Amino acid sequence: MTALPLGGFLALSSALLGVGLFGILTRRNFVLLLIAIEIAMNAAILNFVYFAAFAPVPALGLTGQEIAVVLIGFAATEVAVGLAIVLALHRLRGSINVAQATDLNG
Amino acid sequence: MAVGVLIALGESLSPGTYTDVRFTWLHLPAPPPGHPGAFPNGFSLVMGTLVDPLSALMLVVVTVVGFLVMLYSIEYMRKERGLPRYYAELSLFLAAMNGLVLADNLLEFFLFWELVGLCSYFLIGFHYERPAAASAAKEAFLVTRVGDVMFLLGIFLYFAVYGAKGPGLGWAASGFLFVQGNHAFLAGVPAGNPTLLTVAGIMILGGAAGKSAQFPLDVWLPDAMEGPTTVSALIHAATMVAAGVYLLAVTSVFLGFTAFDSLLIVALGGITTFFAATMAVVQPDIKRVIAYSTISQLGYMVLAVGAGFTMVGLYHLFTHAFFKALLFLAAGAVIHAVGTQDLFRMGGLRKRMPLTAAAFAIGGLALAGIPPFAGFWSKDDLLAGVYSTLGSHPAYWPFFLLAFATVFLTGYYIFRAWFLAFSGEPRDPSLHAGHEGPWEMTVPLVILSALAVVAGLFVYLPGFQALLLHGGGVAGIPPVYGTTQLLLSAVGVSLAGGGILVAWALWGSGRIVPTPSAAPAAGMRRVLLARYGIKSAYDWLGATGVYTVARAADFFDRFVIDGAVHGFERAFGDLSERMRRIQTGLVSDYASYVVGGLLVVAALLLVVAPYLVGRFGGG
Repeated sequence: MTALPLGGFLALSSALLGVGLFGILTRRNFVLLLIAIEIAMNAAILNFVYFAAFAPVPALGLTGQEIAVVLIGFAATEVAVGLAIVLALHRLRGSINVAQATDLNG
Repeated sequence: MAVGVLIALGESLSPGTYTDVRFTWLHLPAPPPGHPGAFPNGFSLVMGTLVDPLSALMLVVVTVVGFLVMLYSIEYMRKERGLPRYYAELSLFLAAMNGLVLADNLLEFFLFWELVGLCSYFLIGFHYERPAAASAAKEAFLVTRVGDVMFLLGIFLYFAVYGAKGPGLGWAASGFLFVQGNHAFLAGVPAGNPTLLTVAGIMILGGAAGKSAQFPLDVWLPDAMEGPTTVSALIHAATMVAAGVYLLAVTSVFLGFTAFDSLLIVALGGITTFFAATMAVVQPDIKRVIAYSTISQLGYMVLAVGAGFTMVGLYHLFTHAFFKALLFLAAGAVIHAVGTQDLFRMGGLRKRMPLTAAAFAIGGLALAGIPPFAGFWSKDDLLAGVYSTLGSHPAYWPFFLLAFATVFLTGYYIFRAWFLAFSGEPRDPSLHAGHEGPWEMTVPLVILSALAVVAGLFVYLPGFQALLLHGGGVAGIPPVYGTTQLLLSAVGVSLAGGGILVAWALWGSGRIVPTPSAAPAAGMRRVLLARYGIKSAYDWLGATGVYTVARAADFFDRFVIDGAVHGFERAFGDLSERMRRIQTGLVSDYASYVVGGLLVVAALLLVVAPYLVGRFGGG
């Protein structure tokens, strides 16, 4: 198989990160915000996978894959916590618009 | 008291200088050869005692008058509140005064000097709840402070002149200045810088003027009469105010004054003597009359010390302490009995208080200098002594004449007080019917009366004579009464007698109704009662001069220092006011800060760091 260059993969994950960040900065819906965070995070996980695949020594590549698996677990946990917050917020305010949850302003 | 008298007796039997260094504060050893430094002979500060004829004489005064005043206080102060405070302060004062008299170096002298000043402040302000007493205490403290600072500067200057120069043992072993520092010793010392010595003498004179209430630092003493009469008798007549004269005497014996300083001292003494006496002439307050008379008599002593008759000055100090304490205690008995100090409300007390009247009269005669009372002998010697210097120092003439004229005024003002208080009929029926005090009050009066009669004759005791002759070292008392001296005495006595006669004619004969307004020369009276405006000048200086400075300082504080502080405060307040705007509480905003920070870090890593590495080289 013809090896694709690493730069292309990195460009893909950078694009994913950009999409995620854009979502984080612009979305006001908490659920969409969570999804955007997931996208940004997956960009990081993808990077680990790429670098593992391109590792000069296969044993080092294993480490990258392990971290990717652990990070997927973290992402799941984070979504669980995030959704719990969404539920609590909805119960408290009847809305999941983060623009209204500004009690901590200075 | 007994110890003081014993020491004096011993001293009179074998006059000399005895010292005992008790402990050393600070010792600088002599530096090794080849490194002379500031003190080639080493240097030490010590606390010690020094008994010589001067201090023996003062010791008698302090202990005897101190004892009698303590005895008198038992009754006089019986009804006062705060007696523990009174006796504690009085005891502290006596301890400090004895320490001052026995000090063996100028620094120790200064320490006790400050202590007696402090006690004076306490005791003037004994009735601190009375505003007049509180402000008089403050005034006394502040005015004498001016003198104290000058005194300290004088010590520094003398030290600068002599401290490092003394040959060997003398200075190093004895602390500085007193013990070995007499004229014979100084003869071996390289001559000091005359200008410095003159300035040092002026500074010492300033210190003495502050403590002894000499012109122009005399304003505090009359106001100090706000304190209890016992305090006035002990501190402000017999002992503390005499400390200034004692300082001058000690300095003149051990260090000597330059010719200019001597003239200055004579001038100050003569002027003070006369002007204080003129102010005493019109006072309506019995204690203030005596206070001004104290200033005037202290002026005599200063005059004598300045003219070189140190021991004659101290002799007058000795007799003055007794008759002035007597006058104060007699005045105290009157005040205690009738409850006022206003002479014009008293009158006719002779019948009800014969003993007090007699005591006051004896004190007055002694003060006026009528033979054979104590004041005559010392004042006569003093004036004769000053007269004998006129040939070599014609510049002393005006001050001698002022002092001589004062003899007349003295006779007048003290007997004006006597006639107003004791003769005639009672003028104010609202006053208490006065009567003599109990024995605690009369016994001191009797003892002091006896001393006021005979203290002047002490000079004919061989022991006392030895004290006077050995004390000065430079000048004793005029030994022989030649025709000139006898003539001087005659003139002096007739002047004093004339003063008494005028006082009788004006106040005692009943021809003039004794009211303040009946006094002649109303314009002159106003000037004298205003104390020649000196006090107003000080008040003006305090109110306007100091106030202006205080205003400037206040302005600086308010607008420059506070301005800086408040400026910082406002700047940071504004800053934080702006900073809190970014705390919107909106998670998206926080996320954008995170992203912004990330971009900054990325920029640092990718652009700035490589640039720096390329510019300066990396490792």
